[in-house]
Amino acid sequence: MTRAATPKLAAYASLSAVGLLTALVFARPEVVALTTPFLLALAAGLALATPPRFTVEVALDDNRALEGDELPARVDLHATTPVDRLDLYLRLPRGVRLADGLNPTELRLAAGERRTLELTLLAAHWGGHVLGPVYLRAFDPLGFLTWESRVEARQELRVYPREDALRRALSPRETQLSSGDEVSRRKGEGIEFADLRRFAAGDPVRRINWRASARRGDLWVSESHPERNTDVILFVDAFAEARRGGEGTLDLAARATAAIADAYVGRRDRVGLISFGGILRWLAPGLGTAQLYRVVDALLDTQIVLSYHWKEIDVIPRRTLPPNALVIALSPLLDPRSVGALLDLRARGHDLAVVDVSPMPFTTRPEAGLDAIAYDIWALRRNALRHTLQRSGVAVAEWRAGSRLQPVLEEVRAFRRNARLARV
Amino acid sequence: MHGGDLVAPVAMVAALAAVVLLAGLVRRRSLAIPWSVLLTAAAYVIGREGSSVVDGGAAIVGALLLLSAELATWSIEHDARIEPEPRLVAWRAGVIGALVACALLVNFLLLGAAAVSASTGLVVAAAGVVAAVAAVAIVLRLLRAT
Repeated sequence: MTRAATPKLAAYASLSAVGLLTALVFARPEVVALTTPFLLALAAGLALATPPRFTVEVALDDNRALEGDELPARVDLHATTPVDRLDLYLRLPRGVRLADGLNPTELRLAAGERRTLELTLLAAHWGGHVLGPVYLRAFDPLGFLTWESRVEARQELRVYPREDALRRALSPRETQLSSGDEVSRRKGEGIEFADLRRFAAGDPVRRINWRASARRGDLWVSESHPERNTDVILFVDAFAEARRGGEGTLDLAARATAAIADAYVGRRDRVGLISFGGILRWLAPGLGTAQLYRVVDALLDTQIVLSYHWKEIDVIPRRTLPPNALVIALSPLLDPRSVGALLDLRARGHDLAVVDVSPMPFTTRPEAGLDAIAYDIWALRRNALRHTLQRSGVAVAEWRAGSRLQPVLEEVRAFRRNARLARV
Repeated sequence: MHGGDLVAPVAMVAALAAVVLLAGLVRRRSLAIPWSVLLTAAAYVIGREGSSVVDGGAAIVGALLLLSAELATWSIEHDARIEPEPRLVAWRAGVIGALVACALLVNFLLLGAAAVSASTGLVVAAAGVVAAVAAVAIVLRLLRAT
């Protein structure tokens, strides 16, 4: 605890000294009477000033919350000596706001008193947050001395993005071997009717299509599509983002990633994550709700880290990109390194779809002049970039802040259904 | 100088004290408080120029000076972002009230003693003040310790 004198101490001491000296020089008792109150205050204040002793703890009822949730927090104080005036401020990280309660606050504690300050925090923004430190400043009763300290609360709070519920996820071109909800293009044991073929030795009798056989005078069997699961890799571009105020393209990408991961995990698909940016993070594909939490936890740590290092997809561990996996990229298409990586993925035969998290809503077109021309050229280049990806057979759909994700995925689905590679 | 001649300088110094205090409050400068107190005290002393009788009103003026200094300090220290507990505000007001009342009492005792034993001289009177104040401080300290 650091002790310091307030300006009031110096002021009162100076007034007392000057007053008494003046009284002596001019031999006037009235001047002593003018000075005595200040001398008395000084003496009383210093006599009452004892170093405060207390403990502070910050507690959260829950360390996990969804974006927009309100969660209670407590600051527990226990004083062993009287604390006449205590200024207390719990520093809240960006992304967590005070919804209710007093922070900063000023209070008084008696010796041996325990006090709990109830705060209601609003998890305003997704991410991994750390509450604290707690800044404390205690005063003596008359405010001549202060004792300042800082207590590291280190309460971690993980705020998960509140995602859209997707009605339908994208279907990959190829499925995996395990059972799942996706109707495979291949033929095998399943429910979905695929085709008819002539009976062959070894075919089970229950697969004979008796109607077709009766019509054609020969034995025919029904073939079906098996239901398989898929591998989905969510590729988050963390090289660059456009941001305005408290919202940016990375926030949108994180929310979309969480929504897509939730949709695929619900279909018993394996979901993996690649955060491709200044810091490369990856998560090998996995199944189940635990994997969903792993994906979202990994997302919380995703941030834009400035880097000039040219990264290619070779840096991604091989097992993170299994063959036949559907790669869904969420990118603002701002950094040529991420665009290059996407084209590279496509060139290597990966099934790729791109959700272009548009940076346009986070920018303002200048009124006129060279700036306006530069802005228009930049917008045209972005369009050209999207067409380059589409020419490579990559479905690209633009997603703007404020709109829902499902129509964007439907646009990607429509492109993938109808697009064919042009032969020239 | 006659009493009438002193009105203008007293008013001028008092007005200056008020301006200094006001400026300090507006600009949140605590340095203005002692200067304002000094100027007010100077105005009072100038006003008493030529009078040989010990003025009992000095006890009240001294206590009021302390009150104004305490309230001005409170005002300058006040940070609108820090929400104080209501009972702390009441406690702080009580502390200031008690301090001013105590100062008033000590002042009356002092001026009474000075009027009775003016012959003992001001040095002894000042020593008496310091002793009284020290006694109060020791009592407070002991009370605090228990």
